[in-house]
Amino acid sequence: MVEIRSPSVRRGWSESTRARASEIVKQYPDPRSAVMPLLYLAMAEDGYLTDNGMREVAGAVGLTPAQVRAVASFYTMYKRDDPGRYLISCCTSISCMLLGSDEVLRAIEEESDVTAGETDPEELISVEHVECIGACGGAPAVTVNYELIEGVTAEKARELVRWLRTARPDAIVGAECQELFGGRRSFDWGPFDRDSALGPYPAFGPLGTVSGPSEDQDG
Amino acid sequence: MTKPVTVTINRRLVNAPAGELLIKTAQDNGVYIPRFCWHPRMNPVGMCRMCLVEIQTPRGPLMVTSCTTPVSDGMTVDTTNPTVKKAQEGVLEFLLINHPLDCPVCDRAGECPLQDQTMAYGPGESRFVEEKRHFEKPIPISELVMLDRERCILCARCTRFSEEISGDPLIEFQERGNYTEVNTFPDEPFRSYFSGNTVQICPVGALTATPYRFRARPWDLTFVESTCQHCSSGDRINLQSSQNRLLRILGVDSEPTNQGWLSDKCRFGFEYVASPARLTSPLVRDKAGELQEVSWGEALDYSGKALGEVISRSGGRAVAGLGGARGTNEDAYAFSKFLRSAVGTNSVDCQMDDGLDPRLLSAIVDRARIADLESAGSILVWGPDLKEEHPTLYLRVRRAAQELGAGLVVVHPRGTGLDDRASVKVTYQPGRGGEVLTELMDGNGRMAEAREVLSNGPVVALLGRPGYGESPDLAEATAAFVRSLPDATILPLARRGNVFGALDMGLSPALLPGRVQRGTLAAQMLADRWGELPAASGRDCRGILEGLESGDIEAVVLVGADPVRDVPDGELARRALEKAGLVVAIDQFLTDSSRMADVVFPAMGFSEVEGTVTNIEGRVLKVNRLTPGPGQSRPDWAILSDLAARLGVDLGLVSAQQISQEVEELADIYRGVNWERLDWEDRDGIVVSGDLGYVPVFSHVASVSPRPGEMALHYARTMYDDGVMTRESPSLRPLAPGSGAHLHPADAARLGVGEGDSVDVTSVSGSLRAGVVIDPTVEPGVVYVPFNQPDTPSLGTVLGVKVSG
Amino acid sequence: MTRHPSDSHTLERYLETGGYQALAKALEMPPEEVTGEVKAANLRGRGGAGFPCGVKWSFLAPAKPAYVVVNGDESEPGTFKDRQLMERDPHQMLEGTIITSYANGANHAFIYIRGEYPRSARRVQQAVEDAYAAGYLGSDILGSGFDLEVTVHLGAGAYICGEETGLLNSLEGRRGEPRLKPPYYPAAKGLYMKPTIVNNVETLANVPWIIHNGGEAFAAIGPDGSQGTRLFSISGHVRRPGNYELVMGLTWRELIYDVAGGIPGDRALKCWIPGGASAPWFVPDDHLDLPVTLDDTAKAGSMLGSGAVVIMDETTCTVRATERLVRFFAHESCGQCTPCREGCSWLERILRRIEEGAGREVDVDMLLDISDNISPGLAWPPRMTTICPLGPSAVSPILAITSYFKDELMAHIHQGGCPLD
Ligand SMILES: Cc1cc2nc3c(=O)[nH]c(=O)nc-3n(C[C@H](O)[C@H](O)[C@H](O)COP(=O)(O)O)c2cc1C
Ligand code: SF4
Ligand code: FES
Repeated sequence: MVEIRSPSVRRGWSESTRARASEIVKQYPDPRSAVMPLLYLAMAEDGYLTDNGMREVAGAVGLTPAQVRAVASFYTMYKRDDPGRYLISCCTSISCMLLGSDEVLRAIEEESDVTAGETDPEELISVEHVECIGACGGAPAVTVNYELIEGVTAEKARELVRWLRTARPDAIVGAECQELFGGRRSFDWGPFDRDSALGPYPAFGPLGTVSGPSEDQDG
Repeated sequence: MTKPVTVTINRRLVNAPAGELLIKTAQDNGVYIPRFCWHPRMNPVGMCRMCLVEIQTPRGPLMVTSCTTPVSDGMTVDTTNPTVKKAQEGVLEFLLINHPLDCPVCDRAGECPLQDQTMAYGPGESRFVEEKRHFEKPIPISELVMLDRERCILCARCTRFSEEISGDPLIEFQERGNYTEVNTFPDEPFRSYFSGNTVQICPVGALTATPYRFRARPWDLTFVESTCQHCSSGDRINLQSSQNRLLRILGVDSEPTNQGWLSDKCRFGFEYVASPARLTSPLVRDKAGELQEVSWGEALDYSGKALGEVISRSGGRAVAGLGGARGTNEDAYAFSKFLRSAVGTNSVDCQMDDGLDPRLLSAIVDRARIADLESAGSILVWGPDLKEEHPTLYLRVRRAAQELGAGLVVVHPRGTGLDDRASVKVTYQPGRGGEVLTELMDGNGRMAEAREVLSNGPVVALLGRPGYGESPDLAEATAAFVRSLPDATILPLARRGNVFGALDMGLSPALLPGRVQRGTLAAQMLADRWGELPAASGRDCRGILEGLESGDIEAVVLVGADPVRDVPDGELARRALEKAGLVVAIDQFLTDSSRMADVVFPAMGFSEVEGTVTNIEGRVLKVNRLTPGPGQSRPDWAILSDLAARLGVDLGLVSAQQISQEVEELADIYRGVNWERLDWEDRDGIVVSGDLGYVPVFSHVASVSPRPGEMALHYARTMYDDGVMTRESPSLRPLAPGSGAHLHPADAARLGVGEGDSVDVTSVSGSLRAGVVIDPTVEPGVVYVPFNQPDTPSLGTVLGVKVSG
Repeated sequence: MTRHPSDSHTLERYLETGGYQALAKALEMPPEEVTGEVKAANLRGRGGAGFPCGVKWSFLAPAKPAYVVVNGDESEPGTFKDRQLMERDPHQMLEGTIITSYANGANHAFIYIRGEYPRSARRVQQAVEDAYAAGYLGSDILGSGFDLEVTVHLGAGAYICGEETGLLNSLEGRRGEPRLKPPYYPAAKGLYMKPTIVNNVETLANVPWIIHNGGEAFAAIGPDGSQGTRLFSISGHVRRPGNYELVMGLTWRELIYDVAGGIPGDRALKCWIPGGASAPWFVPDDHLDLPVTLDDTAKAGSMLGSGAVVIMDETTCTVRATERLVRFFAHESCGQCTPCREGCSWLERILRRIEEGAGREVDVDMLLDISDNISPGLAWPPRMTTICPLGPSAVSPILAITSYFKDELMAHIHQGGCPLD
C-alpha cells in the first residue's frame, strides 16, 4: 500500500531490537517471511516466547498476534513456557531407540529429578524427549540447548546432568560437551570449534544479525 | 466465458464450465458429494478429505478431493464406488473418534452437517476405544461467540473466513498435528464485526452464538426469507422464530448483494424487536404534560384535530414530515402521499442532515451495481468507513481488492478497515477534501500513483460523506471527477436502511414517487392520481428543524425518526421539537425524540410487516413478516391512512400489497416490480433504473480550516452506537465503543495527555468529555470523535472544536 | 562429495581443493546448457522422491521472479547426511546453489536449515558471508552480470517442513502445512506463488562436480537410473554406523556387512529400513541380495528415499520399533488433513496399547483397516486419502510388522506385553 499521510510514530521493541528486526525483515521479499527469525529474536529478548514477544513480532510484520501464535505453536522449538537454563533434549526416535536412548532418557530424568516435558523448581534444567535430531550414526544422542552430544550412554548422561548442575557453564559449547560426555559420532566433525549456543536460553540469535558468540567467549 | 466441457459423473454425461470445481459440477447435476471444509464462497483447501472421489487417469484410478479438482473435458468420475465409500466412511470415522457425543445439548444438533453426513455416509459403529481428546468445554472467545474445541473438526472455515473474507484474522489454528485447535490469542478476543458468519458456516457446534445458545431446537423453528434493514445494501436474510419470537437470523447467499455474509449488527441486531420497551399502545400527552396510554380512536382524533387546526390556521406548509427511511417502500409511499395530498406540504426529508443531495443518491446517471465490484479494474472509496457503516459492501470491496485483483484507492480522514488492502491510501484533515480532490484530479506528485491505479477501468467509485464536518458537495464534486475515469460507475453511499426506497417514494422536498422531480410533466401525471400537489417548495431536514425552531413550521410528523439522536446537530433537533406546536410520532420506541411528542403511535416494524425496500443500487427486495407486532402496534401506512381520514382525506390505501400495486402503476421505474415476482422468481430483487438525467457537476469545494486554537473534528459513525436498535439489543449494546477523543500522538503530547486521560471537546453546538485514544491513523491537528455514543451529547456538523485536557 | 580435508568448511580450504571453479565455468555457459549438463548427468533428487533434477529445472515456469530453495530440513529419522554436507563442506552446497540459481534465472535463493542444526546454520551462514565477501554472491558475480542474494532461514522443529510445499509455507512465515498439489507445484506456484526450484542439499552438492566434469562423466558412474555417488546414512545395529558415499549397485548384503561392518556380536540381522522412516522395511530372506539402486528398491516395494538405512538385529522388538516410527509421524503430522491427523495418532495409540500389553486380537485388523483409510489398498507406491505423503508414511512400518512379524505382534497380544523383555 502506498500511504499518503504525515509520518507517525510506531510502538515497538527497544530501538536496537527494532533495528535488528527490520534488518531481518529486509532479507525477505515479503515481511511475513521474517516471522520465524523474529520469533527467535523474541525468545532471545525474553528468554522464551512470551505473549508480549509474539505481539511485538506481529507488529513488526503486520500480522495479528493470533496469526503469529498460529505459526509459533506449530514449531516445537519456540518455547512458550519458560524453560530452565539448560534444555536437555533426548532423542528417542528409531535409531537412538535401537541403541538404548530410552535408558539414557531415564538416566537423565532420574539424575535431574525432572520428568520429560518439565523443568526443575530451580529453573536450571528442563528435560524433553524429541524426535530424530539427525545424529543417528552417533546414537543415542542428546542436545543441550541444541548443542549436540553423540554416543551418549546412560552413565555419561548422568555425568552430564551433574556437570550442568555444578559447573553451570555460561554457554554450551557442543564440541566441548562431546569431548566430555560423548562417544561415537555420526561423522568426523572437523576441528574443535568454540561456537556455541547462545545461552542461557535455548535459542540462538537469528542468522544474519548475530553470528554466534565472539571468538574469545568462555575460553 | 470459458468453453463448457463434458464430464462423466457416475456413468452420466454432464456439461460444466471448464475449470469449475468438480464438487460444484456434481452438485449442480444432482450428485451430492459430502463435504465439510469446502465452502462455495471461499478458496478450497481440501483439508477435511470428506469429498474424495475417484477419477480415471492414464495411470489408473486416482483419488482426489472433488473440492479442489477442476473439471476438464472427458474427465470420468466415480463418487460412489466401494473405494470412495470406504474412504468416506474412513474420514467420518476419523472425524468422530475425537468428537464428543454431546449432541443432545448441542445447538447444532438437528442441523449439523456432521450428524447428517454420518447418517448418510458414516460407519455404523465406533471402533475407537482410546481416550478422546479433551479441551476445556466452551470458552467465550468474544462477547458473541463461544468455542467448543472438542467439537471442532478443523475444517478451517472460520479461520479462512476471517482471513480471506473479513480481514480480521483473530481466530487461527494453534498447535500442531493431533493437538491442533482453533483459538484466539490469549487476551485478544475474536472481536470482529463479522464473527457471526463463522458460527453460521461452522459445520458442527464448535462455534455457537451467545445470543442464540440453547434458545431453540432447529426443528421448532419457523423460517421466512427477508431483507436486512440495518444498512442500505439489501442483504438477504433468513428470519427464524419459535413461538412467535424472532430467535435467529442467518445470511442467505444472494449473489448480487451479501453473498451469504452478514455483519454481526445484521445478525444479532434484531433483539430490539422483542424488547419490553416496545410501544404497545398509542400515547397522548395529558394536561400534566405526561404521555398517557389512550385508545387508537382517541389518539387519532386528537392528532387529526390538532393537525387540522394547524393546516387551517397556517396552511399545509406549516406542517413537515421527517423520517421514513427505516420502513418499507409501502410505508414511505403512504407517508409521501399523506403529506402531499392530505396535509399539503413538500417539507419532508428521510435523510437526517447527514446525507447527500437526494438527486445524487437516487437518480445519478452512471450508477453502479454492487456486483460491478467483481469485475472492477479499480475501486475508489471516498466516503464513510465501509467497515463501520456498510459492512457487507466492505466485504465485497475487500474481496475485489484481495481476491479479484482490483486496484483500490481509499480516501478518508483516518484509518479504515480497508487500508490493508488498499493500493493507495490517502489520509487528510476533514475540511480539506476539496484540496485533496484537486490534487487527485491533477494526478501529480503524491497522487500520481492513485491516478495510475484509477486508470484501470472499469472504475467503481463508492462515494459518500466521510464525516459530518464534511460538505455534501464534496461527494458531488468527486462524482463529477469520477465520470472522467475509464468506464466509471458510481455507488452513492447512504446508510439508513431504506433511504433509497424512501427517496424513490418521494420523501425529499423536490422528489415525488418514482424518481420524479417536482414541476415536471411526470409530476403533472402524478397530480392526476393524487389530486392537486402542494405548490410551495419544501424544506429539507435542516430547514425543517430551523423552521420549527423559528416558528415558521408549527407541526412535524416523525415516522421512525429520532432527530435528537440521528441528526449530527442533535441540540438543534431538541430545540426544534421543544418549540414545535405539535409533534406526532409514529415509532416503535419512546426515543429521545418521540418522548417529546404530543402523540405517539405504536408502529410495527422489522419482521412484523410485509413490503419492499430498495437498496443502494436500486434493487427492490422483499421484506417479510414472521412475528406479530407487540400490543396494539400497527403498520405505518395504516396509521397514516387513518390520520388522513381524520383530516377528511381518503388516501385509498387498503393494504401494503395494494400500495405496492399502486406504486407499480404510478411510478414508471417500478413497473413490473410486484410481490409475486419478488417472492418467487426474483428473490434476489429487481433493479429499478431510471435517472433524472442528473449529472453531477464539479463544484469547487473550498477547503476550510478550523480557527486558530481549534482542531478539525472528524465526526463519524461506528457500527455499534446508541441508535435505538442497538441500544435495545442486549447482545450488541455493550459493544458500542463509547465516546472517545482520538488524537494523533503528537497532539496528545502537545496537550499533555495520554491514553485514557480525559479531554473536553467543545463545539459551537455542544460539548462532551471523552477519554483520549492515541490514534496514529488520524492526521495531526484532527480529533476523531465517534458519533452518537451512549450518554454523549452531539457536537453538530461543525469543523472546528476546542480540545482541552 | 565427502573427500574433504578436516577444515573444509572454510573458504580457503574450499578454494584450495578447486572450489568455485565450477561456478566460474557455469557462468560462462548459457543457463540452458547448465541445465543440459545436469540433465545429461541424470542426477536424481537426493531428498527422497528421486526425481531427475535436470528435468525438474526444465519444468520451471517462465514467470519472474523465480526462486531457488535449498532443502536442508533433513529430519527423516535415520538421516544425517545433509548435516555432514552443511557442517563440513557448506561451500560445495552453496556453489551448487549459485549454479542452480544461475541456470534457473533466480536472483534470490533461500537455504532452509532445520532448527535443530545450529552448527550447520552457523557454518552455512559463515560460508554465505564469506562468499559475499569474495564476490561469489551479491551483484555481478565474477563479472558475469548475474546477481544473487542468498538468505539462510532456520526452521524451528517441524519435520513436515522438509516436504517442499510445507517448507515454502514455513519460509513465507506460515505454519508449515503442505500445499495442495495440484495446483501448487513449486515449479509453477512456489515461494510467494512464483516459480521455484526446491532441491535437497545433497542434490545441489553434486552440481559443481557435474559442471566441472560434465554430465556424461557423472552419468557414467554407477548403474543406469542410479548414477553418481550417493550418501547413505547407516545407523542402528551395525559395527560402523555413519555416512558413506557409495556408488550404487552394490547389494544390501555388501552395504550392511562390508561397508557398515556387519552386526555387533555377530547377531542375526532381523530387518532393515532401506530409505528412511517412511520406507517399507526389507528382510534378509527376500532382500539381502538385491542391488542397492533406486529402481530395484522401488520394484521390491520400498525406496531409497533419503538414503537412511536403519538396521535392526534379532534383539529388536519390532512392535516397539513400529510404535516408535508411527509415533514420529503422529508427532510430526501437520494436522491439516483428517486421515493423517486422526489416523496416525490412533495407530500410535493402538500400538502403544499392544506394546504395553493391552492389545486385543481385533487390533491387528484394525491397524490394517485404519491404515487402509489413510493409504487405500495399502499399495506401493502408496495411494493416499491425505494431502501429502506423511500420513501414508506411517503405514509403512505397520505393513512391515503385519506382513513379516505378525507372530511377534500376536505374541505381544497374547502374552500381554513384549516377549523379548
Ligand atoms: C513428509 C515429507 C518430508 C520430507 N522431508 C524432506 C527433507 O527433510 N529433506 C529433503 O531434502 N526432502 C524432503 N522431502 C522431499 C521434498 O518434498 C522434495 O521432494 C525434495 O526437497 C526435492 O529435492 P530433490 O529433488 O533434490 O530431492 C520430504 C517429503 C515429504 C513428503
Ligand atoms: S498428510 Fe499429514 S502432514 Fe501431510 S498434509 Fe495431511 S496432515 Fe499434514
Ligand atoms: S470438502 Fe473437499 S476436502 Fe473438505
